Amino acid sequence: MIPVSVAIIVGVLLVAAVALAVVRIVRGPTPGDTAVAGDLIFFAFVGLVAVLALLFGIVAALDIILIATVLGFLSVLSLARLLQGGRR
Amino acid sequence: MIATIIGSALLILGAFNIFSAAVGLFRLPDLYTRTSAIGTAAGLGVAFMILGVVVVDFTWLNLLKGVLAIVAQLVTSAVGSFALARSGYLTGSSPAAITVPDELADDAVALGGASVPLGDTVPTEDTAALDAGPTDNRANA
Repeated sequence: MIPVSVAIIVGVLLVAAVALAVVRIVRGPTPGDTAVAGDLIFFAFVGLVAVLALLFGIVAALDIILIATVLGFLSVLSLARLLQGGRR
Repeated sequence: MIATIIGSALLILGAFNIFSAAVGLFRLPDLYTRTSAIGTAAGLGVAFMILGVVVVDFTWLNLLKGVLAIVAQLVTSAVGSFALARSGYLTGSSPAAITVPDELADDAVALGGASVPLGDTVPTEDTAALDAGPTDNRANA
């Protein structure tokens, strides 16, 4: 259990990070910038899952984070492959 | 009580790391500096937040899962950032005009991408070539 104020501070920081990344997706000149911003949004999502699981006392928090970390790596690699159109 | 305070401080530190990565993503001039900001700061931020979760509700099983997640996060963040930056280069995302050494130029020529520094502009002909599909350049890749 963590105090609600800590959860609010962390949530505001992470939501601001997601907002800046969305601005970069809208403005970003190349597809690579969009992919990098999507990567950051995934990291912020993992952080939000961690804080919400602590706030509501969900015991599976670290299982979710562990799986999300590995799946995030696979998603980044497939994004990089997708940017090159399937070529290496 | 002490564990809650330390864990909360680690959570806020990790969230601030991710926020600073977002500021870098917003303000830096080209794709490669942005990728550097995301790969270091966001990887470290998620690692700090995992450490905060482990400290707040500590069991030995949670410690094992947390150490596994932190190691996986630190390794895969670096590798993923490298892959994203390389594919961005190969598909014609130009570096900023102040970039001096250009060691991936041969790979870019082999894949048909750009190696001319254009600043922060959009290389439209390269994205059009990317939309054309993967069939044409496979022979000389």
